[in-house]
Amino acid sequence: MSRQPRAFFALDFGAATTSAALVGHAGGRWRLLAHTAAPSTTDLDALLFGILDRVGKADRELLEFVSARERPGTAALVADLARLESRSSPPRRIAVLAGSKRQRRRLEEIASRAGWLVVGGSADVDDPLELSRLVLAWDTHAVLLGADSSPAGDEKRHLPMLGALVAAAARRRPELAVVLAGGAAIQESDFSGAGEHDRIPEVVKAAAPDSSAESDATPVDVATSAETTEEAPAVETAPGEPAAEQAAVGATPEGPSEATAPAATTAPAATTAAPRAPDLAAPAHAAPVELPVPSGDRHDSVLLAPDAESGQPAGSALQQVLEGLRARSDESRLGIARSVRSLALLLDKSIEVIEVGLDGGLRCRAEAVGPGHRTVVSSHVAMASASFAPEDLSDEMIDAVSSWSTIAFDRYRLSDRLRDLRSSPWGEADGEGALLRLAAAKAAVERLVAATPEISVREMPDIMIAAGGVWASTPPSVVALAMADLVRRPGVGRLACDQARLLGPLGAIADEEERRKMLKDLVEDVLLPLGSLILPAGIRQGRSAGRMRVTGETSNSDIDLQPGGIWAVELPPGQTATADMDFRDAVRLGARGRHFSVEVSGGLGGLFVDLRDIPLRLPDKADQKRATWESWQRAMWSEIDE
Amino acid sequence: MSPKTRARGRAEAPDVPPELTRIPGRRILVVSPVVQIRLGPGDRVLVSPGQKVTAGMPIAERTCDPEFIDVGRLNGATNGNGKGNGEGGWKGSQQERRRPPLPGKWWVGGDDRRGRNARREGPRRLAGTLLYEINGRWSAAAGDRHEKVESPTSGVIVEAANCIGIAMKVTGIAIPAAVAGGQPTRGYLDVPRLVDGELRDTALDMGRSGAIVVAGGRVSAEALTRARAMSIRGMVAGSLGQAELRDLAASEGRQRAALHSMPPFGVLGLDGHQRRPIASPILALLAALAGREVAIITEPPLLVLDVVDVPLPELPRDWVRVRSGTHAGREGRWLSSAGLHRFRAGIHLEAANVRLGDDLGPTIIAVADLERFIL
Repeated sequence: MSRQPRAFFALDFGAATTSAALVGHAGGRWRLLAHTAAPSTTDLDALLFGILDRVGKADRELLEFVSARERPGTAALVADLARLESRSSPPRRIAVLAGSKRQRRRLEEIASRAGWLVVGGSADVDDPLELSRLVLAWDTHAVLLGADSSPAGDEKRHLPMLGALVAAAARRRPELAVVLAGGAAIQESDFSGAGEHDRIPEVVKAAAPDSSAESDATPVDVATSAETTEEAPAVETAPGEPAAEQAAVGATPEGPSEATAPAATTAPAATTAAPRAPDLAAPAHAAPVELPVPSGDRHDSVLLAPDAESGQPAGSALQQVLEGLRARSDESRLGIARSVRSLALLLDKSIEVIEVGLDGGLRCRAEAVGPGHRTVVSSHVAMASASFAPEDLSDEMIDAVSSWSTIAFDRYRLSDRLRDLRSSPWGEADGEGALLRLAAAKAAVERLVAATPEISVREMPDIMIAAGGVWASTPPSVVALAMADLVRRPGVGRLACDQARLLGPLGAIADEEERRKMLKDLVEDVLLPLGSLILPAGIRQGRSAGRMRVTGETSNSDIDLQPGGIWAVELPPGQTATADMDFRDAVRLGARGRHFSVEVSGGLGGLFVDLRDIPLRLPDKADQKRATWESWQRAMWSEIDE
Repeated sequence: MSPKTRARGRAEAPDVPPELTRIPGRRILVVSPVVQIRLGPGDRVLVSPGQKVTAGMPIAERTCDPEFIDVGRLNGATNGNGKGNGEGGWKGSQQERRRPPLPGKWWVGGDDRRGRNARREGPRRLAGTLLYEINGRWSAAAGDRHEKVESPTSGVIVEAANCIGIAMKVTGIAIPAAVAGGQPTRGYLDVPRLVDGELRDTALDMGRSGAIVVAGGRVSAEALTRARAMSIRGMVAGSLGQAELRDLAASEGRQRAALHSMPPFGVLGLDGHQRRPIASPILALLAALAGREVAIITEPPLLVLDVVDVPLPELPRDWVRVRSGTHAGREGRWLSSAGLHRFRAGIHLEAANVRLGDDLGPTIIAVADLERFIL
């Protein structure tokens, strides 16, 4: 027996929840041995003790094998086993300044997609006093001053004033990170003229992301990277790292080719005789030029960034720079995006993740494209406002939760409950609290979906994954219903849940090859199957739309397809079935037709057949809308009245 | 429960059974917290880092009606080419005046800026802080009405910057709260008799002028209005609704617009926004401190006690409180872990057996809905 332990802890430190998993190498592959989640206030060692204790009670030999010790002591294992960690970045606020309202809105949208909490002002509407207030506020961590690359008169005339105002603020607050985007870079000289007793901010140029990567990354490439397998190593950007690092790499004199070097240098771990835990000490991605590091460190830099139209799609270049400025390198959401890219390449499927947490949410999509499907195109958007209990709770957000809720609340009462949910995210998770949490989660996903039209226009993914603490205690069929309610695209797809929250920590593995090997072993454990979703479009209302026969390994079903409803057909996890559908009229289900036969796989919720409208049509009156939600919800959540 | 009180210093946390550590702990007191007092453009600090301040000492001067002013050219004006950051402190105001202009520097308008024109008889004191300079011309945030900001408590200044704010390390200890509204303030602690855990509005009379009143589980908008009218300095309640906070903010806005300024008024919600009674150990602590000078701090929400030693309630180590859910606000003793339990709506959560109040039998409550107190 090797002395090297064949196990490690995968830890995800969220804002509300700490998730811990024990991953061990047994039976020739890496396996998820146990996992747990608890409020982030819980003592970590107590959590890890609990996991080891459970494994030890269930299978002592297994614990001895993976720990490579006879009679392993729990305390010693907690101290000795390696840890693979990812963390949520605490929300940070950026003040967006522009010469015109139009430009300000565009910049605010990009900053929001990069995960910042955003406050903004424009010189044509707000007076300099108000703008100064924004940038001097204690809780403002960064300033984005932007303009078109060739600013028109309405912006140009305000730029000197805005530049002087931001430069003055930067002198008053040296810790403030300043980003000059597009034509605002002309004001750079305002920051270099500081006197001998002022701190002189260092000017760092953050160029647009490597265009050669973009050229390979078609058809969708949003805040993205394209990556290839080891067989086709020609173009490989470091995928998913804080984007400013990428931008900085592009700005080095050596050029972008230098950037590709560190991505896959570690030799892959041998997973047979002597498995080794992933390289946990190395950062996820090395970058030759260090840009300002967020979270507590001081930013004495002025960053020159691309304008709001650069990149494909427009704004993605600036979004990358801002994301790099905000996020830490081991951030959970970026880790999820990296893991999803690896999974897409591994499984050769399109994968979409919707993650909702207390500090924000993430929507990302990755799919293998190109010759031999060896290139992955992916995009991700992490938004602070996609939290289920946002810090900046606006009336619009409260109304959105109210519109998804099956309980009638007045606005103030709902506001109080949402704010208490933020301060105590694990509180009242049952009964009415569960319904409120579900409504808040749906409102958060709705914001996320609205902010990612470039993902929404894509076809239904092969696998859709729900992730994040908000789904942790929700029944699987209800999670599946929420996904069907919110991401409405015709097609057939599998639904899964990252129950053990492994995607984030696995995304922290530095080496892409190693991460992919680890995921290959763990994919069945990472993705808890919720079921399959069949979602046709173009169903006519008012009469039976046709029939569906589900032929499974152990049972068959025959369903009359009634428009406007959603059904769950029992299909346990691990089983597959064939669904044959005969529609009266032609519908869209990937392709347009009347007869379809698709392979579906089971899950905890079974097979979901959704014949509701795309997009959903709901009554205007609030009480009728609540009744409609409730009828759909009750069909999937029979325990609701317990 | 009727927690006994005894005087002692800072208590050490007793050994806690492992299952109890899964219940989130709530610290009753924090020692020497750092608090912030936010300032804006036009406001200046009157203290400097490292300086010791006492309660009631002026620490800042706020411009009540700041406007954007085009100052024009100033002597020695360069684009930030000067010494210091513009903060000289109150004592160094003479040197401050001799320093070249810098962003954030205190500025008093010259004759042409003092409002001497044909329609006005007397000069206006137009003063504020410099904002920025373009082509040698300076702009400022300035006004002619100013008010002193007094330190709500004693402590040591950690950071002080014009237009930005003051960070201060408090000398004493504080009770953390969840929500705050209004402004930092101070007064003597008044713990009136509560009826069913609530304070009647009629109890808020002129006799409590200058007090910070403990108001029970919830404070209404009417009570806040009445308290301000009676010159009460602040209120402390178990919870504070968003509607009441909005009313208070609107009332403060009107107050700022008025010429006659009133003493600062602050309000604290110890547990959050939804109605809950004040936790018995905290109520016992407040009762023991009645009559002492305390301060309400809004960033972060704290009730600061200007003392180092306080009589801490003596609690059994298995004493827990339900902070959310159907039993919210009730307290009792933790009996045992109940493992994973199926709750309403089929939700499975880790649970504990708790004997609440005088109940004969145990109640199963989700661990995440409980809190235990850390002294």
